[in-house]
Amino acid sequence: MSTTSTTMTSPRAPQTPLSRFATLQTADRLLCGVLIALSLFALALGIAYGVAMALVRSGLLAPAPDTGYRVLTLHGTTAFFYWLYTAQAATVLLLAAAEKKGALALRGLAWAGTALIAAGFVLSELAAIAGPPLLYEANPELGTDDPRTVAGMTGGYLLLAAGFALIALSSIATVLATRRQADGGLSALGFGLLAWAGFLIVSAVAAVNAFLPGLLWASGFGAFPHAATTDWHILFHNLHYLPLMATVLVWYALAQDLTGISPATGTAFSKIVFASYLVFVPPTSLYHMFLEPGLPESVRVAGSLLSLFVSVPTLIAFLIVVASLEIHTRAGGEGGMRARLRRLPWDNPAMANMGVAILTMLIGLAFAFVLIQEKLAPLLSDTMFVPGYFHFFAVGTVTQSFIAMLAMAVPAVSGRPLWRPRLLCVMPWIVLAGLLLFGAGGLGAGLMGVPRRVVDIGYGGEAPAIWRPFMAMVGIGGVLFASALAVSVFGVLRSLVPGRRGLAAAAEPHVAAARSAAAPAAAAWTGPLAVVLLVAAMYGATIGAFELMQSLPVTAAGGGAH
Amino acid sequence: MKLEIVLMLAVAAIWLALALVYALVPGLDMPGYIRVWGIGALVFLALAAVLYRARRNQT
Repeated sequence: MSTTSTTMTSPRAPQTPLSRFATLQTADRLLCGVLIALSLFALALGIAYGVAMALVRSGLLAPAPDTGYRVLTLHGTTAFFYWLYTAQAATVLLLAAAEKKGALALRGLAWAGTALIAAGFVLSELAAIAGPPLLYEANPELGTDDPRTVAGMTGGYLLLAAGFALIALSSIATVLATRRQADGGLSALGFGLLAWAGFLIVSAVAAVNAFLPGLLWASGFGAFPHAATTDWHILFHNLHYLPLMATVLVWYALAQDLTGISPATGTAFSKIVFASYLVFVPPTSLYHMFLEPGLPESVRVAGSLLSLFVSVPTLIAFLIVVASLEIHTRAGGEGGMRARLRRLPWDNPAMANMGVAILTMLIGLAFAFVLIQEKLAPLLSDTMFVPGYFHFFAVGTVTQSFIAMLAMAVPAVSGRPLWRPRLLCVMPWIVLAGLLLFGAGGLGAGLMGVPRRVVDIGYGGEAPAIWRPFMAMVGIGGVLFASALAVSVFGVLRSLVPGRRGLAAAAEPHVAAARSAAAPAAAAWTGPLAVVLLVAAMYGATIGAFELMQSLPVTAAGGGAH
Repeated sequence: MKLEIVLMLAVAAIWLALALVYALVPGLDMPGYIRVWGIGALVFLALAAVLYRARRNQT
């Protein structure tokens, strides 16, 4: 069996949550607090729209068609754009300020960015509520009769993009002002933040490329954006990678904070892994084009081969984090895997959030690979298979990681202890249970051909009866994970309200004792074993999907939606 | 610091190469990809330049 032999060394003293964020300046606490509150407000709204959608899709609610599609649009716009990108803006600023151990650089730019994001949020929501539903990609073809709505949606997204680009600039300036390590370089996390902030700026450029033509057309200054679908694909590809890169950086920071150890593989290797995210972004983008009818066969083949590399950086980062955690638990004494797992600080909500994030990433990856197969993509891309797998990433991996980060940072920002940490420790596991139910229902429904963007799937009583139980699972699972997530959001938001005693030291959930001394080499095989199991699961899921699809009388093909 | 500059330059080179592929290969009629990967290459090149300048200021 393959093993990773590692040495636990600490070139610098590991940080605990309070020490990481304790140096935040008062003005920066206010800025970060506003961004966190804005992001959590967006998440709370996104959850509410999501619950409504789950009830509609399971048949428990039957709204007018326009209302159903409007809720679908609002759910995607609010949760995918405004929660994920405002949370990233808050996270990159928080971690940059913590790296510098001093005031944020270019704070005025960051405030301007926050104001732009808030303005974009209001504009996008109003446009989505008042106008015809364009779906979350602000598809101009759906708004040819109402250009004002296209202008509102695209304008909102452009404000969001400008906002997170300004915040990224402030983060870059802050990281560059950090004290250098002994070799004159940045810390691994500092370099990762720099790369991530650069990627945020590039994604803002991709947003301009995707949405500016629509805004110009809707405002009477340009031709109709016929390339909108292609331009959306580029942005969409970047928007896939960004939250995952953010997630592994959060894991990297939290693994140190929660266990007190430095990452097992050293600073240089970690920097290479963070840079590899950016290396793999452009070459793996072609698979989004699989549904385009005019794509040359050679490009399809190349895209299919390159798509196999799509998760390489995430898996390597996963190996580093899991190996670091395993070394921490092995250093705590003898015992099997169960005993070692128990040594992790599970009574800290952030650990529970991170544990669920890691598990859901593995589950999501297994099914993501089914979807990027050139032969299966046209059959499954417009079905419930897509929401079935991507909620493992969006709600499980990414959102749970951001909640973990906020659970650690918010007490330092507000000076108030985390609200009911024991209750918040339970919520991620309920989210996982809900996701498993939702995912099983969604994946099953997708394989049975249930369309994902059709609100009423009854088809006048002609729909196959087998669709109903799968969609009921989607509804029940969705309400379950949304309810638990709502409790987590409330807990973090409640803790954000400043305490009456000002910035008193916040009582902190359990954090493992820091081990700054060198420890003996240890064999950490859990990570490699997990990757082997994951690859086996990918093969199994792909073969199973092929076999099932061949056995069904499927004639429909996808239409290019994402 | 040297490693950081090399990594940023490598990223910029790959993004630039992809932008050129989209610009020069017949059949890949996607100007948006050229713009995004090309501007991305410039962004990462700028980050490499900033890191290089910081290194020079240190020494």
